[in-house]
Amino acid sequence: MSAAGRAITSARATTELSLLLDVGSAWTKGIVVGRSAGRWRIAAHAAQPSSWSEADLIGTLAARLAGAADQRLTDRLVAIISDAPRIACHTPSRPGRIALAAVSTDLSGRAARRAAESAGWVVAEAATLDDGRPAAERLAALQSAEVDAWLLAGGFDDETGEAALEMAGLAAAARGGGRTPVVWAGSPLLTEQVLSLFEAGLARAVPNPRPSAEHENPLPLRRHLEALLERLVEPGGRRQLAPVGFSRAVTQLARGGGRRISAIDLGARYATWVLADASGRSESRVLASGGLTSPRLTEPGSPALIAHSIDVPVDELAVADALQNLRARPGALPQTEEELAIVHGAARVLLERLVGDESAFDSIDLLIGAGRTIAAAPTPAQAMGILLDGARPLGVTQLAIDPSGALGPLGALEDREIAEGVEMLRDDLLTPLGAAVVCRGGRSGHPAFWVTVHRAGWSSIGPIEVRAGQLQLVPLGHGQVAELEIELEPGIGIGGARRARRSRASVLGGSVGLVLDARDVPLLLPRRTDDRRTILAAWRDALQHEQQVAAGEPR
Amino acid sequence: MNGVAIHRIRLQRGSTVTVRIGAQIRPDEVIALRRQPLPPIRVPVARPLRRAPGEIDEVLLVRPGSRVVAGERLAASGNHEVIASVSGVVLATSRLDGTILLAPFSAHEPVISHVRGKVRAIEESAVAVEVPAARLRGIGGTGDAVHGELAIGVQNPEDELRAAAIDVGATGRILVGGSRASAETLTRARAMGVAGIVLGGVLDKELRDFEAIQRRRSASGGMTGSFGLLLLEGFGKVGIDPLLFGWLRGHVGRMASLFGADGLLYVYDAGSAPIRRPLPRVGERIVAHRRPYQGRGGVVVALLDGLHAAASGIPSRMALVRFEDGRLAPVPLANIEATLAAPDH
Repeated sequence: MSAAGRAITSARATTELSLLLDVGSAWTKGIVVGRSAGRWRIAAHAAQPSSWSEADLIGTLAARLAGAADQRLTDRLVAIISDAPRIACHTPSRPGRIALAAVSTDLSGRAARRAAESAGWVVAEAATLDDGRPAAERLAALQSAEVDAWLLAGGFDDETGEAALEMAGLAAAARGGGRTPVVWAGSPLLTEQVLSLFEAGLARAVPNPRPSAEHENPLPLRRHLEALLERLVEPGGRRQLAPVGFSRAVTQLARGGGRRISAIDLGARYATWVLADASGRSESRVLASGGLTSPRLTEPGSPALIAHSIDVPVDELAVADALQNLRARPGALPQTEEELAIVHGAARVLLERLVGDESAFDSIDLLIGAGRTIAAAPTPAQAMGILLDGARPLGVTQLAIDPSGALGPLGALEDREIAEGVEMLRDDLLTPLGAAVVCRGGRSGHPAFWVTVHRAGWSSIGPIEVRAGQLQLVPLGHGQVAELEIELEPGIGIGGARRARRSRASVLGGSVGLVLDARDVPLLLPRRTDDRRTILAAWRDALQHEQQVAAGEPR
Repeated sequence: MNGVAIHRIRLQRGSTVTVRIGAQIRPDEVIALRRQPLPPIRVPVARPLRRAPGEIDEVLLVRPGSRVVAGERLAASGNHEVIASVSGVVLATSRLDGTILLAPFSAHEPVISHVRGKVRAIEESAVAVEVPAARLRGIGGTGDAVHGELAIGVQNPEDELRAAAIDVGATGRILVGGSRASAETLTRARAMGVAGIVLGGVLDKELRDFEAIQRRRSASGGMTGSFGLLLLEGFGKVGIDPLLFGWLRGHVGRMASLFGADGLLYVYDAGSAPIRRPLPRVGERIVAHRRPYQGRGGVVVALLDGLHAAASGIPSRMALVRFEDGRLAPVPLANIEATLAAPDH
């Protein structure tokens, strides 16, 4: 028997339980896995602020399990869960901090920053020649930065410009010796000169993330910085880091299910995005300050952007205060509708930023939302709304959430165990929300596409006309399969492989249903406040209303 | 009885520590000297040495990152040499014009400790001091490290600190305000020489406006003295927990150190500050952290069984709280903390 099997089955003689734990920076998730009718199932799950004790979490899990467990065990459940084999992951204890010195903010600086942030680093201080500060101020800022590493970038691959050398010199002056490693990610023609500025063996050159004005090549630098982070900040136990575990579990889901999956875990501090395909290839991006306590959310402009994107009448000043309070106490819950709307608005903005300008959600089979804000949203329609508005998955996509938070801990299993672990719980890991057809383009109010929904044993629906700017929802319950016939208006697109005007797709229902979304990519909103709030409320109501209809449908 | 905390005073790289491990230090004591980089100057090298600019690497005795002292040789060729006229750090060398870019150092500037205590360790870029004081950790803050006597600026913890309440009597002191202060009040406080302000809450916008005013004044050279702000409870209009306010009132006149950017306040010769604990029990005093009860105190009347939805719709474990204004309300347990007098208080 594999270790995964042992981890989950070693308590078989007495209880056949296992405990999965994800200790986050704000919330801790606990999942009890038990054997029922010969199958391993998620028997109970609970979440609580990480400042509460483990005993509280186990007490809550025991209480939730009590209703389903053998009555002879009820009094012993706390002890049984406490003693159960564990598979645990945790948010990194602290993010790696890096200082960046680059030639330009928008070229070398931007490419290097993106690579560093995607690798899980926090850029503690950045200096560029065009940052508007005098050189002395730049030097003083770099001298004051408390960092784990230095990242230097600049110069295209065919350049020997002095600007890059000047910034490298500035970093050397600010760093002032010590053992802090240095990464040179600039023109290879300058490598020898740059490395000579630092103690032998401390500086490493990696391929330039901005080799020319037209191209970015961030992957080698990202990979190098990921390895450096692991070595410097979290030596050992990489699999036990929640972003890594999440990525591994999603990759296994994609491989095991033969699907192309994109998944987002939006936490308090970290945001993780994973894109994995059926061959087991995956790409991930881990932003150490990309979560709901991200300082970027409270930077000038962001509160206004969030206020602009929600349907409740709240001004940007109140949004800014609410976001600051969220940063200060990430373990507390939004208690009012207004605060919840702000948090969900922030989540949408973070999702947009997580993937940047890349079409990471185009033509994927499944989009998974994880993290308390998305996966524990009060209603499935709200979770669906955040994912659709933030990610804008172009094409026909299934959507699901990870309500228990089991993906992270399962991804902490060893390589030879992970497939078995994920496979054993495959049916329970995700809660399907349904499917969405999202298109790009169109003139507001004009037809964008038509969909005919064929369901086995039911009369077909449609063709349903969906106009640009419109969101419609078709009832499609859990496990219900539908064949879609989609006809696009000229000028409308639904993603890479589906260029034809007519196409077919097979979709599976869920707790929300089938969303027909012609709101364009990216989402376009009216400028006038009243119009905007009206349309946002209409979209929200459409989802909520149709959800009630869906709930009444036979399954 | 005093608590004891270890406080790390961060130092800019290149600072020279002037105290030793084991030394007792006062809040106004100099613990290090630092030299700030000044606007860089170009030092001709190739021309005085009669070399082509492109040959500069062959004659240099320093490299970018090198720290040099006045009189040190920067480059030499044959009998000719280039001497540093000032102490500083080499930022760059240029093969285009054959010069060195050198950032001169300012005169030594003292680094003040702002804490009282015993030096426990000297690290690469910090001095760790054992501080015999009660420590309060806020949820945020801004500004400098300061020290001064503790003073109270409002009658009640939910009162707003008004500009009119700040007079010369507050100069050099750390003033405990109430539920908020406007940017105007903060600006006046700084102008009046107030060392620091402790608030329950502040509006994000007011804080940003104040910081923008300070940046402008700093850029125009019109800023004098240090000023720190500590935020205890949250953003918005948020009163200070009455128990904590009472404790602060009980220590008026004691010396205190405030570290705005770190969100810390030390009060010397003080009994331990009230304790916060998650998961309050029935009968315990609490303070709430989220709207609509943010900053309000009350007592837990009951813990509700199972999960209950808040107005937001989020299901959670709830406590029934009797707030001090008499209202009885269910509040998510995640949103309240017990606030308890320290055992020795």
